[in-house]
Amino acid sequence: MNPTFLRFAIASAAFALSALSQDLVAIKAKTIHTLSGPAVTDGVILLQNGRIKAIGKQDEIEIPWAAKVIDKSDKVVMPTWVLAHCAGGMRGSNESMQNVPWLTVADAIDPASAYFENMLRNGVGTLHVMPGNRTLMGGTGMVVRPSGRTVADMTVAAGTGMKLSLQASRSRLQKIREMRRAIADVRDYLADYERRKAEFEQEKAAGAIPADKEWDQEIDRKKKAAVELIEKKLRGWLYVPSYAELGEALRLAQELDLTFVLGSNLDEAHALLAKIKSPVVLDATIEYLETDPETREEQQFCSAKLCQDAGVPFALSLSSGGPTSYPWWQLGTCVRHGISRSQAIAALTTVPAKMLGLDDQLGTLDEGKLGNLQILTGDPLQATTWVDMVVLEGEVVYERSKDPRLQYLFEAAEEAAAGTSKGEKQ
Amino acid sequence: MIRLLPASLLLFATSLAAQQNVTAFTNARILPGNGPAIENGTLVVANGKVLAVGGADVQAPDGATVVDCTGKTITPGLIDASFGGGIASDDANEQGEEVTPHLRILDALDPESQAFRRARRNGVTAVHVMPGTRNVIGGLGCVVKTHGDDPQSMVVKQDASLRIVLGSEPSSGNRAIRGGRVESIYYRRPTSRMGVIWEVRRAFFDAKEALQQTQGVPNAAPPSPGIQVLTRVLQGKLTAVTTARSEQDLRTALRIADEFGYQTVVDEAQDAYLVATELADRQVTVLLGAPSATTVAGGGMRDGAAPRSGTVRALAEKGVRFVITTGTNAAALPLVREAMFARRNGLSHRQALAAITTEPAKLLGLDDRIGSLATGKDADFVIWSHDPLDPAAVAESVHIDGKPVSRVR
Repeated sequence: MNPTFLRFAIASAAFALSALSQDLVAIKAKTIHTLSGPAVTDGVILLQNGRIKAIGKQDEIEIPWAAKVIDKSDKVVMPTWVLAHCAGGMRGSNESMQNVPWLTVADAIDPASAYFENMLRNGVGTLHVMPGNRTLMGGTGMVVRPSGRTVADMTVAAGTGMKLSLQASRSRLQKIREMRRAIADVRDYLADYERRKAEFEQEKAAGAIPADKEWDQEIDRKKKAAVELIEKKLRGWLYVPSYAELGEALRLAQELDLTFVLGSNLDEAHALLAKIKSPVVLDATIEYLETDPETREEQQFCSAKLCQDAGVPFALSLSSGGPTSYPWWQLGTCVRHGISRSQAIAALTTVPAKMLGLDDQLGTLDEGKLGNLQILTGDPLQATTWVDMVVLEGEVVYERSKDPRLQYLFEAAEEAAAGTSKGEKQ
Repeated sequence: MIRLLPASLLLFATSLAAQQNVTAFTNARILPGNGPAIENGTLVVANGKVLAVGGADVQAPDGATVVDCTGKTITPGLIDASFGGGIASDDANEQGEEVTPHLRILDALDPESQAFRRARRNGVTAVHVMPGTRNVIGGLGCVVKTHGDDPQSMVVKQDASLRIVLGSEPSSGNRAIRGGRVESIYYRRPTSRMGVIWEVRRAFFDAKEALQQTQGVPNAAPPSPGIQVLTRVLQGKLTAVTTARSEQDLRTALRIADEFGYQTVVDEAQDAYLVATELADRQVTVLLGAPSATTVAGGGMRDGAAPRSGTVRALAEKGVRFVITTGTNAAALPLVREAMFARRNGLSHRQALAAITTEPAKLLGLDDRIGSLATGKDADFVIWSHDPLDPAAVAESVHIDGKPVSRVR
């Protein structure tokens, strides 16, 4: 094709897109949970250019004639869920080499992955994708939305941090030693680089190097991210599998800017939990059993409750399958252990949004923020509630009535039972 | 269900309270099982039995211990009609033979098992335990309560069912003897689906023949214990439970039952939606093992079955009777959460709760004792923090025969 024409085609497509996004969208709902103030009943939410323009009662806000109206007057609207840390949707989330700080999840994210499809089905609108837990310095992550054909389409924010993990493959102590060694190596490299740079400047001052020559050696590309981590320019997201690694994690937090991703099995570390200074992410298994070796009596613990008791703010995670993949299940588990509804909801909205530094964009429904919202059939904490629709940046990206997977699981089975057609087997 | 207590009974209850250990649970929302929900209800319990249950018409008798249950929900104790726990894993399958109808799983029961504690903590008060799935005909299942000092004191029904297993498990890993020495349990028949079905057919054929030979013959020598058990199935005195997951195995289960003229229950019937018409016609009860495992993300498939979330509603609409169990699925959730998922997948609240209380009680022939709360029935009940099908629900206290056996908070 003629390159000039191609450029024209792209330009006109971009123009068409921008004209489209100028469109106004008005969503009417029975209840709007803004999460920044009291719920609005019989409300309307107005979106323009993918952002929230206004929220209020239907009789207070005038819907412009040009707006596309989505009438969900019997439904509940709330912000989409935000995951502060996850390791799904990638083709291979763990590099087999241990120390790979130069890698990035951008090269592994598969936009067609069923993981993102399922997250969208559950009302998740923002995910911080990070390398898995099996590496040491696993590479850098990025914040994406679970909708789009390419990684670029999906990107919300990049350079959000480096994944670090204390999950031991052989022994706990070995892993801790490896982590310290890896950090020391980066420090050594950086010290050597600074020394060479200082020498260069000295030689230049002494006239051994021409005065117009500038220091042009860049930091090794494979070391760059790790150096930023050491210099506290990049945040580390440290996976702490259990109470036993928490002591070392707290030591590391004295020298690095760290956010902890906590595994379960935390009940033994109650005193240490209270020493955590910043909000943590809990992995998807928040409820676990401990058996007393003497009495064989089992005790149930909830890591979210342990954090709450220790005064540590927490964000929740979702697994890629099973009951803990459902937000309502995770929130219900929190409530079952004595956490308030609003605090549970915050752990999947406002808290993670703040941890990602996106609280001016996400987490609540407020004027000026991104138009990321989910439309639910009922209360977000009930098992009978389904995600009816998901809107990301003003665009409808999921509709339950058009979900082929749900049609396969429900309607097709019922048709087969009724004898109208034979449900096709997988 | 008796909700309006006759005055005489109330008087009796009042006089009884003075001497007996009478407890009244008041101001609760009661879901009795065989009837509508009772708001501000009272449940009166004495000597391990329900003395009265109802609304304003039921008062706590004088002298009774009163437990205020404001804001709580009371349901009958839950019944798991296919419970995989309670037996050491090596003890569930006797692999000396492939057909062992006379073996009793009761003999292998471990009352101290962690599985019973977990079941109790989650509101399950009675379970149907069957032999494992490695034998073609594994033996006799029993119904026990989830608390007791020894297996005998837990027993509700000793010979509750006969387990027949189709599908891949009885043949998986088996090898035919081809020369060599017979030193491994893997030298075991059958080795194919055909072989499994042949073993079932031969067993019932032998039983039928024994029945014909001994009928009307005075002083006939009693047949072997295994044949006696199979004979009871043929006579409709013992429930056959056929484990069959895929459509193919389900159709086979129905075909063999038709062939020998016995009634069967189908267990783990993941493909039941594909044979719903046949199941409805024959009035076959379906045991659904861990229906939550048919997650949106897929999985939970065995024997070529294709589980679907719509199964529960499809069966309900077709009029097929079904019971929700935890079954053989290792990923099964606590029973009440399985019912919660069934509710999510389209059952009404009543249907979902019935599938873990009244329906299993009827299936096991024990609805005169358990599965619902009414005067004279066993005082097996659960006090929940929320509605039991709410994700936040906790079984705050669980009672078996009136005694608290589990407490949370």
